[in-house]
Amino acid sequence: MKEKIVAIIGEIAAEYGWRVIDDWQEDSVLLESGLDSLGFAILVARLEEELEYDPFTMMDEPVYPRTLGEFVAVYDRYAS
Amino acid sequence: MKAEALSSIIGGFAGGQTVVSSVGARLTVGQLLEHADELFRRSLVTSGSRIALCGLAACDLITSLTAFDGRVGAMLLLPAFADSAARDRFLAAAGCTHRMDGDGIRVLPNRLEEGCSSDADATQWLLPTSGTTGVPKLIGHTLLSLTRTVKRDVAKGRGFIWGLLYDPCRFAGLQVILQALLSGSLLSVSPSYDFDRQVEGLIAGGVNALSATPTLWRKLLMDGRIRECPLRQITLGGEIADQSLLNGLKHCFPAARIVHIYASTEAGVGFSVHDGMAGFPAAWLESERAPVPMMVRGDGHLLVRPATVPEGAETAGRLDADGYLDTEDLVRVAGDRVFFSGRASGAVNVGGNKVMPEYVEEHIRRVDGVFDVCVYGKRSSMMGQIVAADIVCESGVDSAELRREILRYCRSVMESWQVPGIISFVSELHENAAGKRERKT
Repeated sequence: MKEKIVAIIGEIAAEYGWRVIDDWQEDSVLLESGLDSLGFAILVARLEEELEYDPFTMMDEPVYPRTLGEFVAVYDRYAS
Repeated sequence: MKAEALSSIIGGFAGGQTVVSSVGARLTVGQLLEHADELFRRSLVTSGSRIALCGLAACDLITSLTAFDGRVGAMLLLPAFADSAARDRFLAAAGCTHRMDGDGIRVLPNRLEEGCSSDADATQWLLPTSGTTGVPKLIGHTLLSLTRTVKRDVAKGRGFIWGLLYDPCRFAGLQVILQALLSGSLLSVSPSYDFDRQVEGLIAGGVNALSATPTLWRKLLMDGRIRECPLRQITLGGEIADQSLLNGLKHCFPAARIVHIYASTEAGVGFSVHDGMAGFPAAWLESERAPVPMMVRGDGHLLVRPATVPEGAETAGRLDADGYLDTEDLVRVAGDRVFFSGRASGAVNVGGNKVMPEYVEEHIRRVDGVFDVCVYGKRSSMMGQIVAADIVCESGVDSAELRREILRYCRSVMESWQVPGIISFVSELHENAAGKRERKT
């Protein structure tokens, strides 16, 4: 999952001309990686096309991931 | 009778009370009134003057509003425009005689003050709005129409320190400023629009009341540092507030009063909901208990009857015989709740920024290889909506290459939030029974 997400971030960063970090770690802070709110919205929409689910619409208690590790965990938790 | 001016409201507070703070600097009521008086005297304006306030920082804007409200004919509030042609169009449309920016105030050439006096009993506050068609228009307010629903409970207000995350010259920012000023609260402003520095400023300023769009609240929660602010008042506006975010905020700030505001620049102020639930109670429709009289028209448009109707042809055309204003917001009633479902015009709301699909379509059609295109808003759990485009390409065109070209072109001519976040290639687009392009929702 992590590799897939990092690959999609790379693809959309290239398409939209965003400068994002190359060296993604579990504890990379998302808002310090070069993605902004719009970047995340596009990433989540693109992942929904790819994975056919948006975990952020499926949660009872909302989670706001701070790091890549937390973001990946959200997708893992809701993978069918 | 002359309406009460901002300076006289502020003059009612103790002179030593702090009104605005910003990284160590503080401005008291006494200093604000003194600076405002000095600015007024230096400006040589008359009651017929029409002053454009262009891209002012919060402190300068507050001083200018205090200086000129009640003393000039009109004030035009403009955010810091990148596009000077748009700014000049607004200046001409508003008949501005003076222009004030960070460098000071100056008289505009070739603009005569008609009659040099104004019969109006209140200064007009002119605000640009993207309007129903996406073409910016000016809407005329007064201090009274802008603050009709502002709480003026000074005993309560004194305990609040409001943070300002919005551009002070836009409607949402102005609402925060006026709320803080009129209720005797302290306003903490950041000298920077950089998110990191803004958050640092909120924490350093001890902010306990904050207004932001749902998109910005999600960002603040992701960042996490906002938890260091002892928030007691949380306000959401500018976009539809969903239940998930309201729950998330309640979870982080269990003691805070959470309010989502429904407001439109056109209608003045609408109403606020503070029961922690998305939408608003259906009992408010055609009910005495409603904060403003409202009803849902047969086609799902929400109509409100504002106490003061803003001036301008734009609003006049949207009033019915009973004084109800078409908000052009679509709602649906589900059980005892009314939920917002978007704009009747099809405008896409990307984190509080309005995008007209037709504008994006017109641009995409210019890209070689595009046969047809349909742009619409795709629901986003992060930003409310993002722009999506369905493309029919000409035969023999490589869709991957076309996709890159569309994005490259859109990025070169549009704001980032207008550029499609999702592009799909389809074999055909559909029209509805009336022959109109069917936009997905």
